[in-house]
Amino acid sequence: MCEVKLFDIHFSYNTNVAIDNISLTISQGDFVAVVGPNGAGKSTMLKIIAGLIKPTRGQVQIGGKDIFTAKGHGLIGYVPQNYGKNVQGFPATVKEVVALGLTLGAAAAKKKAANHITNHMMELVGVENLRDRRIGELSGGQQQRVMVAMALAANPQLLLLDEPTSGIDYEASARIYELLGTLNKNLGITIVMVSHDIEKAVSWANKVACINRKLCFFGSSKEFDGTHAQSRHLWYYTGQ
Amino acid sequence: MEFFQYDFIQRALLAGLITGIVCPLIGSFVVVRRQSLIGDGLGHIAFAGVTGGYMVGLYPVVGALILTIAGAVGIELVRRRHIAFADMGLAIFFYAGAAMAIIFSTMTRMPSTGLLSFLFGSIITVSLTDVITIAGAGTLVLLIVYFLFDKLMLMSLDEDIANVAGINTGMINMLFSILTALVVVVGMTIVGILLVSALMIVPVATAHLLRVGFKATMGWAVIFSMLSVFIGLTSSFYLDIAPGGTIVMTAILFYIIMTIIRQCIAFKERLKEQISSSFGDE
Ligand SMILES: Nc1ncnc2c1ncn2[C@@H]1O[C@H](COP(=O)(O)OP(=O)(O)OP(=O)(O)O)[C@@H](O)[C@H]1O
Ligand SMILES: [Mg+2]
Repeated sequence: MCEVKLFDIHFSYNTNVAIDNISLTISQGDFVAVVGPNGAGKSTMLKIIAGLIKPTRGQVQIGGKDIFTAKGHGLIGYVPQNYGKNVQGFPATVKEVVALGLTLGAAAAKKKAANHITNHMMELVGVENLRDRRIGELSGGQQQRVMVAMALAANPQLLLLDEPTSGIDYEASARIYELLGTLNKNLGITIVMVSHDIEKAVSWANKVACINRKLCFFGSSKEFDGTHAQSRHLWYYTGQ
Repeated sequence: MEFFQYDFIQRALLAGLITGIVCPLIGSFVVVRRQSLIGDGLGHIAFAGVTGGYMVGLYPVVGALILTIAGAVGIELVRRRHIAFADMGLAIFFYAGAAMAIIFSTMTRMPSTGLLSFLFGSIITVSLTDVITIAGAGTLVLLIVYFLFDKLMLMSLDEDIANVAGINTGMINMLFSILTALVVVVGMTIVGILLVSALMIVPVATAHLLRVGFKATMGWAVIFSMLSVFIGLTSSFYLDIAPGGTIVMTAILFYIIMTIIRQCIAFKERLKEQISSSFGDE
Protein backbone atom coordinates (compact mmCIF):
# COMPACT_ATOMS: atom_id res chain seq x y z
CA MET A 1 0.00 0.00 0.00
CA CYS A 2 2.98 2.25 -0.15
CA GLU A 3 3.76 2.78 -3.77
CA VAL A 4 5.35 6.16 -4.34
CA LYS A 5 4.62 7.91 -7.61
CA LEU A 6 6.16 11.14 -8.82
CA PHE A 7 4.42 12.82 -11.74
CA ASP A 8 6.36 15.48 -13.64
CA ILE A 9 7.84 17.02 -10.53
CA HIS A 10 9.34 20.42 -11.00
CA PHE A 11 10.75 22.60 -8.27
CA SER A 12 12.68 25.85 -8.17
CA TYR A 13 13.93 27.97 -5.31
CA ASN A 14 13.10 31.43 -6.67
CA THR A 15 14.77 31.25 -10.08
CA ASN A 16 17.13 28.40 -9.24
CA VAL A 17 15.73 25.20 -10.73
CA ALA A 18 16.47 22.34 -8.33
CA ILE A 19 14.26 19.60 -9.79
CA ASP A 20 13.39 19.46 -13.44
CA ASN A 21 10.59 17.20 -14.62
CA ILE A 22 11.15 14.07 -12.62
CA SER A 23 8.68 11.21 -12.95
CA LEU A 24 9.24 7.83 -11.40
CA THR A 25 7.50 5.04 -9.57
CA ILE A 26 8.86 3.40 -6.44
CA SER A 27 7.12 0.11 -5.77
CA GLN A 28 6.17 -1.19 -2.36
CA GLY A 29 9.18 -2.94 -0.88
CA ASP A 30 11.79 -1.18 -3.00
CA PHE A 31 15.07 -0.02 -1.55
CA VAL A 32 16.07 2.98 -3.64
CA ALA A 33 19.48 4.61 -3.45
CA VAL A 34 19.36 8.22 -4.59
CA VAL A 35 22.75 9.38 -5.82
CA GLY A 36 24.12 12.51 -7.47
CA PRO A 37 26.65 15.28 -6.88
CA ASN A 38 26.32 18.10 -4.32
CA GLY A 39 23.53 20.50 -5.15
CA ALA A 40 21.88 18.00 -7.51
CA GLY A 41 18.52 18.29 -5.79
CA LYS A 42 18.52 15.04 -3.84
CA SER A 43 17.47 16.56 -0.54
CA THR A 44 14.93 18.70 -2.32
CA MET A 45 13.41 15.63 -3.95
CA LEU A 46 13.25 13.80 -0.63
CA LYS A 47 11.49 16.76 0.95
CA ILE A 48 9.00 16.79 -1.90
CA ILE A 49 8.30 13.08 -1.42
CA ALA A 50 7.91 13.70 2.33
CA GLY A 51 5.40 16.45 1.67
CA LEU A 52 7.56 19.07 3.34
CA ILE A 53 7.68 21.29 0.29
CA LYS A 54 5.13 21.65 -2.45
CA PRO A 55 6.48 21.11 -5.94
CA THR A 56 6.12 24.06 -8.31
CA ARG A 57 4.56 21.64 -10.76
CA GLY A 58 3.52 18.00 -10.62
CA GLN A 59 2.22 15.71 -7.92
CA VAL A 60 3.44 13.07 -5.50
CA GLN A 61 1.17 10.14 -4.69
CA ILE A 62 1.67 7.67 -1.87
CA GLY A 63 -0.45 4.56 -2.14
CA GLY A 64 -2.60 6.31 -4.74
CA LYS A 65 -3.33 9.32 -2.53
CA ASP A 66 -1.90 12.80 -2.81
CA ILE A 67 1.00 13.19 -0.38
CA PHE A 68 -0.66 16.04 1.46
CA THR A 69 -3.60 13.83 2.41
CA ALA A 70 -1.49 10.69 2.93
CA LYS A 71 0.96 12.41 5.27
CA GLY A 72 0.88 11.61 8.95
CA HIS A 73 -0.56 8.49 10.58
CA GLY A 74 3.03 7.35 11.14
CA LEU A 75 3.18 6.19 7.54
CA ILE A 76 6.36 8.02 6.62
CA GLY A 77 9.55 8.21 8.61
CA TYR A 78 12.00 10.96 7.72
CA VAL A 79 15.61 11.42 8.75
CA PRO A 80 16.75 14.82 7.49
CA GLN A 81 20.26 15.61 6.31
CA ASN A 82 20.73 18.58 8.61
CA TYR A 83 18.40 17.98 11.47
CA GLY A 84 17.50 21.08 13.39
CA LYS A 85 20.17 23.32 14.85
CA ASN A 86 18.12 22.83 18.00
CA VAL A 87 19.63 19.37 18.48
CA GLN A 88 22.84 21.04 19.71
CA GLY A 89 22.51 21.20 23.47
CA PHE A 90 19.07 19.61 23.46
CA PRO A 91 18.59 18.23 26.97
CA ALA A 92 16.63 15.06 26.16
CA THR A 93 18.35 11.73 26.77
CA VAL A 94 18.88 9.28 23.93
CA LYS A 95 16.19 7.11 25.42
CA GLU A 96 13.72 9.98 25.56
CA VAL A 97 14.36 10.86 21.92
CA VAL A 98 13.96 7.30 20.67
CA ALA A 99 10.81 6.89 22.76
CA LEU A 100 9.50 10.07 21.16
CA GLY A 101 9.57 8.22 17.85
CA LEU A 102 7.07 5.76 19.26
CA THR A 103 4.50 8.47 19.83
CA LEU A 104 4.64 9.27 16.12
CA GLY A 105 3.64 5.78 15.12
CA ALA A 106 0.23 4.76 13.89
CA ALA A 107 -0.64 2.96 17.10
CA ALA A 108 0.87 4.30 20.29
CA ALA A 109 2.43 1.33 22.05
CA LYS A 110 1.58 0.36 25.61
CA LYS A 111 4.10 1.51 28.15
CA LYS A 112 5.73 -1.86 28.73
CA ALA A 113 5.92 -2.65 25.04
CA ALA A 114 7.15 0.88 24.46
CA ASN A 115 10.11 0.31 26.75
CA HIS A 116 10.92 -2.89 24.95
CA ILE A 117 10.75 -1.32 21.49
CA THR A 118 12.81 1.66 22.59
CA ASN A 119 15.53 -0.62 23.95
CA HIS A 120 15.43 -2.74 20.84
CA MET A 121 15.81 0.25 18.53
CA MET A 122 18.72 1.58 20.55
CA GLU A 123 20.44 -1.78 20.27
CA LEU A 124 19.79 -1.97 16.55
CA VAL A 125 21.66 1.24 15.82
CA GLY A 126 24.18 0.64 18.58
CA VAL A 127 23.43 3.48 20.97
CA GLU A 128 22.23 1.41 23.93
CA ASN A 129 25.33 2.35 25.93
CA LEU A 130 24.51 6.03 25.40
CA ARG A 131 20.91 5.72 26.57
CA ASP A 132 21.15 8.14 29.47
CA ARG A 133 23.41 10.63 27.74
CA ARG A 134 21.84 13.79 26.41
CA ILE A 135 21.54 13.94 22.65
CA GLY A 136 22.90 17.48 22.52
CA GLU A 137 26.17 16.28 24.01
CA LEU A 138 26.85 13.47 21.54
CA SER A 139 29.06 13.48 18.47
CA GLY A 140 27.48 14.12 15.06
CA GLY A 141 27.59 10.46 14.08
CA GLN A 142 26.08 9.37 17.38
CA GLN A 143 23.29 11.93 16.97
CA GLN A 144 22.65 10.66 13.47
CA ARG A 145 22.21 7.11 14.75
CA VAL A 146 19.78 8.28 17.41
CA MET A 147 17.73 10.05 14.74
CA VAL A 148 17.63 6.84 12.70
CA ALA A 149 16.48 4.90 15.76
CA MET A 150 13.75 7.46 16.42
CA ALA A 151 12.45 7.19 12.87
CA LEU A 152 12.46 3.39 13.10
CA ALA A 153 10.62 3.36 16.40
CA ALA A 154 7.56 4.82 14.69
CA ASN A 155 7.42 1.66 12.58
CA PRO A 156 6.92 3.52 9.29
CA GLN A 157 6.01 1.86 6.00
CA LEU A 158 8.07 4.29 4.00
CA LEU A 159 11.42 5.42 5.30
CA LEU A 160 13.10 8.48 3.78
CA LEU A 161 16.70 8.95 4.80
CA ASP A 162 18.92 11.82 3.72
CA GLU A 163 22.54 10.70 3.99
CA PRO A 164 21.98 8.71 7.18
CA THR A 165 25.55 7.44 7.17
CA SER A 166 27.37 10.68 6.52
CA GLY A 167 29.81 11.24 9.35
CA ILE A 168 29.26 7.77 10.70
CA ASP A 169 32.23 5.46 11.19
CA TYR A 170 32.82 2.41 9.03
CA GLU A 171 31.55 -0.14 11.53
CA ALA A 172 28.37 1.74 12.45
CA SER A 173 27.50 2.65 8.89
CA ALA A 174 27.84 -1.00 7.90
CA ARG A 175 25.41 -1.77 10.72
CA ILE A 176 22.96 0.85 9.53
CA TYR A 177 23.04 -0.48 5.97
CA GLU A 178 22.57 -3.97 7.28
CA LEU A 179 19.69 -2.82 9.46
CA LEU A 180 18.01 -1.02 6.56
CA GLY A 181 18.49 -4.09 4.39
CA THR A 182 16.88 -6.30 7.02
CA LEU A 183 13.97 -3.93 7.56
CA ASN A 184 13.45 -3.81 3.85
CA LYS A 185 13.63 -7.58 3.30
CA ASN A 186 11.93 -8.89 6.41
CA LEU A 187 9.35 -6.22 7.08
CA GLY A 188 8.87 -4.99 3.53
CA ILE A 189 9.48 -1.36 4.48
CA THR A 190 10.01 0.79 1.41
CA ILE A 191 13.25 2.74 1.72
CA VAL A 192 14.47 5.77 -0.15
CA MET A 193 17.96 6.74 0.87
CA VAL A 194 20.20 9.53 -0.34
CA SER A 195 23.86 8.60 -0.15
CA HIS A 196 27.26 9.63 -1.42
CA ASP A 197 28.65 6.24 -0.54
CA ILE A 198 27.67 4.91 -3.96
CA GLU A 199 29.34 1.53 -3.81
CA LYS A 200 27.75 0.55 -0.51
CA ALA A 201 24.36 2.11 -1.21
CA VAL A 202 24.08 0.46 -4.60
CA SER A 203 25.10 -2.89 -3.18
CA TRP A 204 22.27 -2.81 -0.64
CA ALA A 205 19.60 -1.16 -2.77
CA ASN A 206 17.61 -2.89 -5.45
CA LYS A 207 17.06 0.33 -7.39
CA VAL A 208 19.11 3.41 -8.08
CA ALA A 209 17.93 6.90 -8.93
CA CYS A 210 20.71 9.09 -10.23
CA ILE A 211 19.73 12.73 -10.09
CA ASN A 212 21.31 15.88 -11.38
CA ARG A 213 18.36 18.27 -11.50
CA LYS A 214 16.89 15.86 -14.02
CA LEU A 215 16.54 12.14 -13.52
CA CYS A 216 19.61 10.74 -15.29
CA PHE A 217 19.07 7.12 -14.46
CA PHE A 218 16.39 5.11 -12.76
CA GLY A 219 16.52 1.35 -12.78
CA SER A 220 17.77 -1.71 -11.02
CA SER A 221 21.00 -1.47 -9.10
CA LYS A 222 22.39 -4.42 -11.05
CA GLU A 223 21.93 -2.48 -14.25
CA PHE A 224 23.51 0.59 -12.67
CA ASP A 225 26.35 -1.49 -11.31
CA GLY A 226 26.87 -3.23 -14.63
CA THR A 227 27.06 0.02 -16.55
CA HIS A 228 30.43 0.91 -17.90
CA ALA A 229 32.24 3.16 -15.43
CA GLN A 230 32.57 5.89 -18.04
CA SER A 231 28.85 6.36 -18.63
CA ARG A 232 28.12 6.14 -14.92
CA HIS A 233 30.54 8.94 -14.39
CA LEU A 234 28.81 10.96 -17.08
CA TRP A 235 25.38 10.38 -15.58
CA TYR A 236 26.59 11.31 -12.21
CA TYR A 237 28.31 14.54 -13.03
CA THR A 238 26.75 15.86 -16.18
CA GLY A 239 23.40 14.18 -16.37
CA GLN A 240 23.99 13.28 -20.01
CA MET B 1 4.18 32.71 61.49
CA GLU B 2 2.47 36.05 61.20
CA PHE B 3 3.50 36.12 57.55
CA PHE B 4 0.87 33.60 56.49
CA GLN B 5 -1.94 35.26 58.39
CA TYR B 6 -2.38 38.18 56.04
CA ASP B 7 -4.97 37.67 53.34
CA PHE B 8 -2.92 39.55 50.80
CA ILE B 9 0.09 37.34 51.49
CA GLN B 10 -1.98 34.22 50.93
CA ARG B 11 -3.23 35.64 47.64
CA ALA B 12 0.26 36.63 46.60
CA LEU B 13 1.68 33.23 47.52
CA LEU B 14 -1.02 31.39 45.61
CA ALA B 15 -0.61 33.57 42.53
CA GLY B 16 3.18 33.36 42.88
CA LEU B 17 3.31 29.59 43.11
CA ILE B 18 1.09 29.17 40.05
CA THR B 19 3.39 31.59 38.25
CA GLY B 20 6.34 29.58 39.54
CA ILE B 21 4.96 26.43 37.94
CA VAL B 22 3.88 27.66 34.52
CA CYS B 23 6.80 29.98 33.76
CA PRO B 24 9.51 27.31 33.65
CA LEU B 25 7.17 24.81 31.96
CA ILE B 26 6.80 27.10 28.98
CA GLY B 27 10.37 28.30 29.46
CA SER B 28 11.76 24.77 28.97
CA PHE B 29 10.43 24.77 25.43
CA VAL B 30 11.24 28.42 24.81
CA VAL B 31 14.91 27.82 25.65
CA VAL B 32 15.40 24.82 23.36
CA ARG B 33 13.49 26.58 20.58
CA ARG B 34 16.09 29.36 20.84
CA GLN B 35 13.45 31.96 21.66
CA SER B 36 14.74 33.04 25.04
CA LEU B 37 13.87 36.68 24.44
CA ILE B 38 10.24 36.11 23.47
CA GLY B 39 9.10 36.68 27.05
CA ASP B 40 10.79 40.08 27.11
CA GLY B 41 9.17 41.05 23.83
CA LEU B 42 5.75 39.96 25.03
CA GLY B 43 6.36 41.59 28.41
CA HIS B 44 6.78 44.99 26.82
CA ILE B 45 3.67 44.45 24.76
CA ALA B 46 1.86 43.53 27.97
CA PHE B 47 3.03 46.83 29.41
CA ALA B 48 1.49 48.62 26.45
CA GLY B 49 -1.68 46.61 27.10
CA VAL B 50 -1.81 47.65 30.73
CA THR B 51 -1.31 51.34 29.98
CA GLY B 52 -3.56 51.26 26.91
CA GLY B 53 -6.18 49.44 28.94
CA TYR B 54 -5.95 52.09 31.63
CA MET B 55 -6.54 54.73 28.96
CA VAL B 56 -9.78 53.14 27.76
CA GLY B 57 -10.84 52.02 31.23
CA LEU B 58 -10.13 48.28 30.95
CA TYR B 59 -9.15 45.99 33.83
CA PRO B 60 -5.34 45.97 33.45
CA VAL B 61 -4.96 42.19 33.15
CA VAL B 62 -7.59 42.14 30.40
CA GLY B 63 -5.88 44.96 28.53
CA ALA B 64 -2.58 43.13 28.81
CA LEU B 65 -4.13 39.85 27.73
CA ILE B 66 -5.67 41.26 24.57
CA LEU B 67 -2.60 43.09 23.35
CA THR B 68 -0.12 40.37 24.37
CA ILE B 69 -2.03 37.63 22.58
CA ALA B 70 -2.26 39.83 19.50
CA GLY B 71 1.49 40.41 19.80
CA ALA B 72 2.14 36.67 20.14
CA VAL B 73 0.18 35.97 16.96
CA GLY B 74 2.14 38.69 15.19
CA ILE B 75 5.50 37.39 16.41
CA GLU B 76 4.68 33.90 15.20
CA LEU B 77 3.54 35.14 11.78
CA VAL B 78 6.74 37.13 11.34
CA ARG B 79 8.86 34.18 12.52
CA ARG B 80 7.35 32.03 9.78
CA ARG B 81 8.31 34.50 7.11
CA HIS B 82 11.84 35.24 8.23
CA ILE B 83 12.91 31.98 9.73
CA ALA B 84 16.58 32.90 9.32
CA PHE B 85 16.24 36.19 11.24
CA ALA B 86 13.47 35.21 13.62
CA ASP B 87 14.93 37.22 16.48
CA MET B 88 15.00 40.39 14.41
CA GLY B 89 11.22 40.29 14.07
CA LEU B 90 11.00 39.67 17.79
CA ALA B 91 13.12 42.73 18.47
CA ILE B 92 10.77 44.94 16.46
CA PHE B 93 7.76 43.76 18.47
CA PHE B 94 9.72 44.35 21.64
CA TYR B 95 10.39 48.01 20.68
CA ALA B 96 6.86 48.55 19.44
CA GLY B 97 5.53 47.39 22.81
CA ALA B 98 7.85 49.64 24.77
CA ALA B 99 7.12 52.62 22.52
CA MET B 100 3.36 52.15 22.81
CA ALA B 101 3.65 51.80 26.59
CA ILE B 102 5.53 55.11 26.78
CA ILE B 103 2.95 56.83 24.59
CA PHE B 104 -0.08 55.46 26.47
CA SER B 105 1.31 56.05 29.93
CA THR B 106 2.33 59.65 29.23
CA MET B 107 -0.98 60.37 27.49
CA THR B 108 -3.08 59.11 30.37
CA ARG B 109 -0.80 60.35 33.16
CA MET B 110 -1.17 56.96 34.82
CA PRO B 111 -0.01 57.30 38.46
CA SER B 112 3.56 56.15 38.78
CA THR B 113 2.89 53.91 41.77
CA GLY B 114 0.52 51.87 39.61
CA LEU B 115 3.06 51.77 36.81
CA LEU B 116 5.81 50.66 39.15
CA SER B 117 3.78 47.81 40.60
CA PHE B 118 3.23 46.47 37.09
CA LEU B 119 6.87 46.88 36.17
CA PHE B 120 8.43 45.52 39.35
CA GLY B 121 5.68 43.19 40.58
CA SER B 122 3.76 43.59 43.77
CA ILE B 123 2.45 41.54 46.65
CA ILE B 124 0.00 43.96 48.15
CA THR B 125 -2.01 44.73 45.03
CA VAL B 126 -2.92 41.12 44.14
CA SER B 127 -6.71 41.05 44.16
CA LEU B 128 -8.97 38.04 44.34
CA THR B 129 -9.91 38.61 40.69
CA ASP B 130 -6.20 38.47 39.85
CA VAL B 131 -5.81 35.17 41.68
CA ILE B 132 -8.81 33.68 39.89
CA THR B 133 -7.58 34.89 36.50
CA ILE B 134 -4.09 33.55 37.19
CA ALA B 135 -5.44 30.19 38.37
CA GLY B 136 -7.66 29.89 35.29
CA ALA B 137 -4.94 30.80 32.84
CA GLY B 138 -2.44 28.61 34.70
CA THR B 139 -4.74 25.58 34.51
CA LEU B 140 -5.26 26.15 30.81
CA VAL B 141 -1.50 26.29 30.23
CA LEU B 142 -0.94 23.12 32.28
CA LEU B 143 -3.60 21.18 30.40
CA ILE B 144 -2.40 22.21 26.95
CA VAL B 145 1.24 21.48 27.76
CA TYR B 146 0.24 18.10 29.17
CA PHE B 147 -1.69 17.06 26.09
CA LEU B 148 0.76 18.50 23.56
CA PHE B 149 3.91 17.48 25.40
CA ASP B 150 5.27 14.95 22.88
CA LYS B 151 4.42 17.13 19.93
CA LEU B 152 6.01 20.20 21.48
CA MET B 153 9.11 18.24 22.37
CA LEU B 154 9.47 16.78 18.88
CA MET B 155 8.90 20.15 17.25
CA SER B 156 11.55 21.69 19.47
CA LEU B 157 13.94 18.96 18.33
CA ASP B 158 13.17 19.14 14.61
CA GLU B 159 10.17 20.74 13.02
CA ASP B 160 10.53 18.90 9.69
CA ILE B 161 10.33 15.47 11.32
CA ALA B 162 7.23 16.57 13.20
CA ASN B 163 5.70 17.89 10.02
CA VAL B 164 6.28 14.62 8.14
CA ALA B 165 4.72 12.74 11.04
CA GLY B 166 1.55 14.64 10.29
CA ILE B 167 1.72 17.12 13.14
CA ASN B 168 0.14 20.44 12.28
CA THR B 169 3.23 22.41 13.20
CA GLY B 170 1.79 25.73 12.08
CA MET B 171 -1.15 25.44 14.44
CA ILE B 172 0.89 24.19 17.38
CA ASN B 173 3.49 26.92 16.93
CA MET B 174 0.72 29.50 17.01
CA LEU B 175 -0.86 27.90 20.06
CA PHE B 176 2.50 27.81 21.81
CA SER B 177 3.09 31.47 21.08
CA ILE B 178 -0.31 32.31 22.58
CA LEU B 179 0.43 30.14 25.63
CA THR B 180 3.64 32.09 26.13
CA ALA B 181 1.60 35.28 26.05
CA LEU B 182 -0.74 33.84 28.68
CA VAL B 183 2.18 32.95 30.92
CA VAL B 184 3.62 36.45 30.58
CA VAL B 185 0.33 37.96 31.68
CA VAL B 186 0.02 35.43 34.51
CA GLY B 187 3.51 36.21 35.73
CA MET B 188 3.19 39.96 35.29
CA THR B 189 1.19 40.51 38.47
CA ILE B 190 3.67 39.01 40.89
CA VAL B 191 7.04 39.18 39.19
CA GLY B 192 6.40 42.29 37.15
CA ILE B 193 6.67 42.99 33.45
CA LEU B 194 10.39 43.73 33.47
CA LEU B 195 11.38 40.35 34.84
CA VAL B 196 8.59 37.88 34.14
CA SER B 197 10.69 36.49 31.31
CA ALA B 198 13.53 35.79 33.74
CA LEU B 199 11.37 33.28 35.59
CA MET B 200 10.82 31.48 32.29
CA ILE B 201 14.54 31.26 31.55
CA VAL B 202 16.73 31.30 34.69
CA PRO B 203 15.31 28.23 36.52
CA VAL B 204 15.53 26.30 33.24
CA ALA B 205 19.15 27.36 32.83
CA THR B 206 19.86 26.15 36.37
CA ALA B 207 18.16 22.82 35.69
CA HIS B 208 20.20 22.38 32.49
CA LEU B 209 23.32 22.35 34.65
CA LEU B 210 22.12 19.15 36.29
CA ARG B 211 22.56 17.35 32.96
CA VAL B 212 19.45 15.24 33.33
CA GLY B 213 16.88 14.38 30.64
CA PHE B 214 14.21 16.61 29.14
CA LYS B 215 11.40 15.82 31.55
CA ALA B 216 13.71 15.79 34.54
CA THR B 217 15.13 19.17 33.51
CA MET B 218 11.60 20.49 33.39
CA GLY B 219 10.78 19.06 36.81
CA TRP B 220 13.88 20.57 38.40
CA ALA B 221 13.22 23.90 36.72
CA VAL B 222 9.77 23.99 38.32
CA ILE B 223 11.29 23.17 41.70
CA PHE B 224 13.95 25.91 41.42
CA SER B 225 11.32 28.34 40.22
CA MET B 226 8.87 27.64 43.03
CA LEU B 227 11.60 27.89 45.64
CA SER B 228 12.67 31.21 44.14
CA VAL B 229 9.12 32.51 44.26
CA PHE B 230 8.65 31.42 47.84
CA ILE B 231 11.95 32.77 49.11
CA GLY B 232 11.58 35.89 46.98
CA LEU B 233 8.08 36.68 48.21
CA THR B 234 9.04 36.12 51.83
CA SER B 235 12.04 38.39 51.64
CA SER B 236 10.03 40.90 49.65
CA PHE B 237 7.62 41.10 52.58
CA TYR B 238 10.22 41.38 55.33
CA LEU B 239 12.61 43.67 53.48
CA ASP B 240 9.86 45.76 51.89
CA ILE B 241 11.30 45.37 48.39
CA ALA B 242 9.26 44.79 45.21
CA PRO B 243 9.02 41.01 44.65
CA GLY B 244 10.24 41.06 41.02
CA GLY B 245 13.72 41.86 42.22
CA THR B 246 13.88 39.42 45.14
CA ILE B 247 12.35 36.49 43.21
CA VAL B 248 14.60 36.81 40.19
CA MET B 249 17.70 37.48 42.30
CA THR B 250 16.96 34.29 44.25
CA ALA B 251 16.60 32.37 40.99
CA ILE B 252 19.93 33.76 39.83
CA LEU B 253 21.56 32.82 43.15
CA PHE B 254 20.41 29.24 42.56
CA TYR B 255 22.04 29.42 39.14
CA ILE B 256 25.32 30.70 40.56
CA ILE B 257 25.38 28.10 43.32
CA MET B 258 24.68 25.34 40.84
CA THR B 259 27.45 26.56 38.54
CA ILE B 260 29.92 26.52 41.43
CA ILE B 261 28.84 23.02 42.44
CA ARG B 262 29.31 21.83 38.87
CA GLN B 263 32.78 23.36 38.71
CA CYS B 264 33.72 21.70 41.98
CA ILE B 265 32.56 18.31 40.75
CA ALA B 266 34.47 18.72 37.50
CA PHE B 267 37.57 19.80 39.42
CA LYS B 268 37.32 16.81 41.74
CA GLU B 269 36.99 14.44 38.81
CA ARG B 270 40.03 15.93 37.09
CA LEU B 271 41.98 15.63 40.31
CA LYS B 272 40.98 12.00 40.71
CA GLU B 273 42.01 11.28 37.15
CA GLN B 274 45.38 12.93 37.64
CA ILE B 275 46.05 11.01 40.81
CA SER B 276 45.14 7.69 39.28
CA SER B 277 47.15 8.38 36.13
CA SER B 278 50.23 9.42 38.11
CA PHE B 279 49.96 6.26 40.15
CA GLY B 280 49.58 4.31 36.94
CA ASP B 281 52.89 5.69 35.68
CA GLU B 282 54.90 4.27 38.56
N1 LIG C 1 16.62 26.85 1.01
C1 LIG C 1 17.13 27.03 -0.22
N2 LIG C 1 17.01 28.23 -0.84
C2 LIG C 1 17.51 28.40 -2.09
N3 LIG C 1 18.13 27.46 -2.79
C3 LIG C 1 18.29 26.25 -2.24
C4 LIG C 1 17.79 25.97 -0.92
N4 LIG C 1 18.08 24.68 -0.62
C5 LIG C 1 18.73 24.18 -1.69
N5 LIG C 1 18.85 25.12 -2.66
C6 LIG C 1 19.48 24.92 -3.99
O1 LIG C 1 18.81 23.87 -4.64
C7 LIG C 1 19.74 23.00 -5.26
C8 LIG C 1 19.53 21.58 -4.76
O2 LIG C 1 19.84 21.51 -3.39
P1 LIG C 1 19.74 20.18 -2.55
O3 LIG C 1 19.94 20.52 -1.12
O4 LIG C 1 18.50 19.47 -2.90
O5 LIG C 1 21.00 19.36 -3.10
P2 LIG C 1 21.56 17.93 -2.67
O6 LIG C 1 21.56 17.09 -3.88
O7 LIG C 1 20.86 17.41 -1.49
O8 LIG C 1 23.06 18.27 -2.32
P3 LIG C 1 24.05 17.65 -1.18
O9 LIG C 1 24.70 16.45 -1.77
O10 LIG C 1 25.04 18.75 -0.97
O11 LIG C 1 23.25 17.38 0.03
C9 LIG C 1 21.10 23.57 -4.99
O12 LIG C 1 21.51 24.28 -6.14
C10 LIG C 1 20.91 24.51 -3.85
O13 LIG C 1 21.76 25.60 -3.98
MG1 LIG D 1 21.34 16.99 0.42
